[in-house]
Amino acid sequence: MTLTRRSFLSAVGISSVALSAAACSGPTAGSGPATVATGKLSGQVSLLTPIFEGAAGKALLEQKLIPAFQKTHPDVSFKVDYVNYSALNEKLTTGLAGGTVADVLMLGVGWIPPFAAKGVLAELPAEFADGQGFHPRVLDPSRHEGKLYALPAVLDTRFVAYRKDIFEEAGITAPPQNWEELRGIAKELTRSSGGRISRAGIDAFSIDLRQGWEYALFANGGKLFDETGRKVLFNQREGVEALEFLAGLIKDGSTAFDFRSEAGKPLQLQTGNAAMALVNNAHFMTIQQQSPELIKEGKIGTFLLKNTTEAMFQGGTLASVSARSKNPDAAQTFVRYLASPEVILHTCEYRGSVPAISALASSDYVKNNDFVRFAVDNLDKSVSEGGTPAWMEIRDTIKAAVEEALTGKATAQEALDRLADTANDAIGRLQ
Amino acid sequence: MTIVKAPKRAPQHTGPTAAPGAATLVDHKRKARFRRGLLCLALIAIAFVMLVPFLWMIITSLRPPSELGMANPPLIPGELQWSNYSDALKAAPFATYARNSFIIAISHTVLNLVMASMAGYALARLKFRGSTLIMGAFIAALMIPTYTKIVPEFLIVRFMPFFGGNDAFGQGGIGWLDSWWALIIPGAVTPFAVFLFRQFYASVPVELAEAARLDGVSEFGIYARIITPQIKPAIATVALLTFESSWNNFLWPLLVTSSDNLRVIQVGLSVFQNENTTQWSLLMAGTALATLPMVALFLLGQRYFVDGFTHAGIK
Repeated sequence: MTLTRRSFLSAVGISSVALSAAACSGPTAGSGPATVATGKLSGQVSLLTPIFEGAAGKALLEQKLIPAFQKTHPDVSFKVDYVNYSALNEKLTTGLAGGTVADVLMLGVGWIPPFAAKGVLAELPAEFADGQGFHPRVLDPSRHEGKLYALPAVLDTRFVAYRKDIFEEAGITAPPQNWEELRGIAKELTRSSGGRISRAGIDAFSIDLRQGWEYALFANGGKLFDETGRKVLFNQREGVEALEFLAGLIKDGSTAFDFRSEAGKPLQLQTGNAAMALVNNAHFMTIQQQSPELIKEGKIGTFLLKNTTEAMFQGGTLASVSARSKNPDAAQTFVRYLASPEVILHTCEYRGSVPAISALASSDYVKNNDFVRFAVDNLDKSVSEGGTPAWMEIRDTIKAAVEEALTGKATAQEALDRLADTANDAIGRLQ
Repeated sequence: MTIVKAPKRAPQHTGPTAAPGAATLVDHKRKARFRRGLLCLALIAIAFVMLVPFLWMIITSLRPPSELGMANPPLIPGELQWSNYSDALKAAPFATYARNSFIIAISHTVLNLVMASMAGYALARLKFRGSTLIMGAFIAALMIPTYTKIVPEFLIVRFMPFFGGNDAFGQGGIGWLDSWWALIIPGAVTPFAVFLFRQFYASVPVELAEAARLDGVSEFGIYARIITPQIKPAIATVALLTFESSWNNFLWPLLVTSSDNLRVIQVGLSVFQNENTTQWSLLMAGTALATLPMVALFLLGQRYFVDGFTHAGIK
């Protein structure tokens, strides 16, 4: 396995925390079902968050959300540690190794099983999952071995957006129903000049390569791991076909490995340089700010990637309580608050994210955001990454394997078999 | 007696009847001028390539949001949005972040210059048992990847006895975490600086120190007043590199602090980015401001800096 900053810190940090977590686990960790906190809350709650890190996010959290919580719980104070996703794992890992982890941790989808399995997270009362109106599917990433460890704060989904005007111009009336159709349409809509693509049929690589391949895997009816999280499934036929599908788009000339929306530049779909693109729901905000005419004129459409199964990739951020929290009752209550409809709505508005609560489908925010509305309507088709306690060691190695296959350095099967070996090693190290 | 005939002088005119020797000289000069011209062109092209990212940063920092969404925006923004700079400064307490970065960078620079130069001097000029082994250890330390040191360093900082509520065994509190100690001490002295100083001190003639010793100058006096003034390029190089790496450090300050009033400018710049969106014009305005001290420092010390790099054989 290649030593990277993240893989090294994950391995060292998570293994070193295993011992200390066992020795110092808090009152809600370990035996017995978790109970709902009752009584008067007080004391300080520390929060580690990767989703309020911008200036606007900080203002939202500190001037709106926390003061609203303190109206009900005036004796609870907060200490917030802002970090972005690129350094969240390092921050968590070092904090865990040093025993200074925050009371409330906001983690990504796929992160719950690794940290729950090591005793880092406190179990939440099962009833937290009921009554709020969470779509049942979005709670999957919050659970480990049937127990609830987190609640979704925001969802970030991936699907396909396309230019309706380009489709109409070519006389294409409906989005593709399977990969064969998609490859055909992409090829038809591609334009080249001087040996270079001037308009790609599809911009498939502007989202994270790992997520792009996983999304194709889910749309092909595949899974990353089995139900126990101990058996690798991604190198079976569905995964190989998914990778071959992405590589096939390059072979067809419908896109190129280096054809993507560069940082700081508008999306290729936005400028009309791509007819279709794998997108994140938050891209709607970018288009709204930079090219509002595309939305006004109804030029952007959406559809789910589908080969054998219609699927939507579901990422997001979850709120959980540290097993070593010195103020578990207040932390637990705050986690429930972060996942309440009004807080979710504010957080989603700030980030362009998708609310996990079906009732919010009728809110103005969802109604006025085409991508978010599309995602909310398709939550029953959402599939999440992760699913194994070894995920933190595996996730950073996926991109390299996908890249190998896409650049022709290995066949899809070879790249995924090598990735499976790495994953099996990581799973083999689990206790 | 030997008679040496004066060489025949080349005619002064360079007309069609000019001597072959003069023509060769002119050709040679012309070729030299041509080569110099080519070199200048190549250097201008390279300098331009190096400047492009900075120009792009400045131009982007002045663009209105509408131009950021264009497929082919004009090279020069249609309307210069100077307010991006004031908006960037309003978005976060950049004065505090810049102050913190300055304090840390200056502290690292001073401590590294003082401690590493003394260590380098000792390793180069003082004979003591184990000096080769210690030098080997410094060189070995250079080869340890930064990220492999983060967790152990973090644990040392966290369990520092008698600080941050810790007892003698480093338990009970948070040690140096979320304090100036954690920001300054762990990165204060670098093995690279010790190695660089050692190389420079070793190159200064021994006679200088011996003469001073005969004059009764103490060993510290020889180090401070006689030898160290001879290695100004090393001092400038270490100072600039230390300041630069300290100013640009992102991960360590982020890991060991949680209070906003201890955060540094590189962490502060992340306020313009979240996972889903980036405010490019503000980010570039903030980055341009954050880059200014480094550019000024380089311009001031570039002669010494280049000397230092040449001497140490690094690039």
